[in-house]
Amino acid sequence: MEEKSIMPELEQVFRKVFNNESLIISRGMSSNDVDGWNSLNHMILVSEVEKAFSIKLKLKDLNKMHNVGDMIDIILSKL
Amino acid sequence: MVFTSLNFLLFFPLLAIVYYITPGKFRWITLLVASYFFYINIKPAFALLVSGVTLSTYIFTRLIDKAGTESGKKTLMVINIVLILLPLFFFKYFAVINNGILSLLDSYKVRWPLSEIKLLLPVGISFYTFMAIGYTIDVSNEEIKSEKNIGIVALFLSFFPLILSGPIERANNMLPQFKKQVELDFALITQGIKLMLWGYFMKLVVADRIGIYVDAVYGNITQHNGTSLVVASMLYSIQLYADFGGYSLIAIGIAKILGIDVMQNFKRPFFATSMSEFWRRWHISLISWLTDYVYTPLSFTFRRFKVWGIVIAIMITFLISGIWHGAGLTFIIWGLIQGTFLSIEALTNKGRTSFQTKHNLNKRIWYIALSCLFTFVLFSASMVFGRAKDLNDALMVYSKIFSGIIHIPYRDGYTMLYSFIGFTILILKEFRDEYYPAHFLLFDNKNVIIRWLSYYAVIFMILYFGVFGQEKFIYFQY
Repeated sequence: MEEKSIMPELEQVFRKVFNNESLIISRGMSSNDVDGWNSLNHMILVSEVEKAFSIKLKLKDLNKMHNVGDMIDIILSKL
Repeated sequence: MVFTSLNFLLFFPLLAIVYYITPGKFRWITLLVASYFFYINIKPAFALLVSGVTLSTYIFTRLIDKAGTESGKKTLMVINIVLILLPLFFFKYFAVINNGILSLLDSYKVRWPLSEIKLLLPVGISFYTFMAIGYTIDVSNEEIKSEKNIGIVALFLSFFPLILSGPIERANNMLPQFKKQVELDFALITQGIKLMLWGYFMKLVVADRIGIYVDAVYGNITQHNGTSLVVASMLYSIQLYADFGGYSLIAIGIAKILGIDVMQNFKRPFFATSMSEFWRRWHISLISWLTDYVYTPLSFTFRRFKVWGIVIAIMITFLISGIWHGAGLTFIIWGLIQGTFLSIEALTNKGRTSFQTKHNLNKRIWYIALSCLFTFVLFSASMVFGRAKDLNDALMVYSKIFSGIIHIPYRDGYTMLYSFIGFTILILKEFRDEYYPAHFLLFDNKNVIIRWLSYYAVIFMILYFGVFGQEKFIYFQY
């Protein structure tokens, strides 16, 4: 699966978790760029990503997730 | 030989000279020898413990790297963590378990009275043990390779600026720095001296002066009224910050003079507008350690419970933080209170954020000021359990406070005046750093006269207002 095909769904997950309907995500985006993306919401985001793409992440994957780009790469590797 | 002792003020400049005379690739050896010399001078037997933890961590991290399977790595990681936690548990919790068993024997009248063994907690054991655990987990998670040179691992765990009370550093920051050749850099040395100077101000002028008042009140709770206890409890938060924050700045400054960059440990905590923000500014090295090695794995495990999974993870993390601080019931309660504060904030996060955004509260000065004050009061109220000597004393403090605070507080003219002067200067500097970081510069002013005048002013204040002869820091007991 390609990056382009998962972006719309991932963006929907972000919008739902961070309660922001106009949020547009990009590869370089990190927790500093999104209001409310803190350690509390991060785990809710992870859980929603797992549900949306029907994948199971490992703790090791979490340690590698430093921005949206890392998250996309990890999702793609699991699909 | 603590940082405020005369011995240290002789030891450190001498070491810095020897360090920079030593050829670059051998400088780590000078540091290792100096670190063990420093620690042995506190109590020789304590150095055996840190070397034991070093040896175990070195052997197991090397084995973890060589293990072929993930389960093999995990098993070795767990064995090392258990092994290095044993001395920490023994020294930290021996007295509590011992007393518990003795009182149990007493209650069944089967006590055989023998002379009591009193154990001294090896200074810094909680700090270097956590650093060793973090390193072991990082190697096991393949985030870093294990270090082949046992001397570098020994230096990481015994590095004298950090061994007594942190900051709890990480191997991925420190090991590469110890391995590379440090060049003599006068700009870094100047920065380090400035940090040390301000650290000494915080410790000697603010913390130890306020400590006189706090000790007088908390040392005799029955004789003091609710107002005095409120004042002393608020002051204790400031004392603790100036003490530990000051210690941290001295430690970071010493390391900087030696060309080693150490993480920040405090970031103006009294300007936090919520408890979660407070814990991102207070004892940062411990909280980030707990976040990475306890909170994240726990919240990941409980993620299907959504926000309640986060609440469980927060409560367990702060319970561990409480136990780490001390074996008594007071610290367990203290940890649970912090966990409760953060859990309430997690549960109300969405509602609060949208309310604040809707009314544009985060930009209103009165709202920010009230939030800072509220956070400070919450933290100070919880610190009653951190300061009182036992649960009975802590409960007595609360009962006296709630039975009426309209009394004249205990007065100690000079102590209060000097504390006020010290604290005002500290808070003004922090206010500048928080809101106007590029303005009203003193230590970093381009004008050489202003710069030097400010150095002399701080030195004068340390000598004139400072409290000497204490030679201890609050966090040495943890």
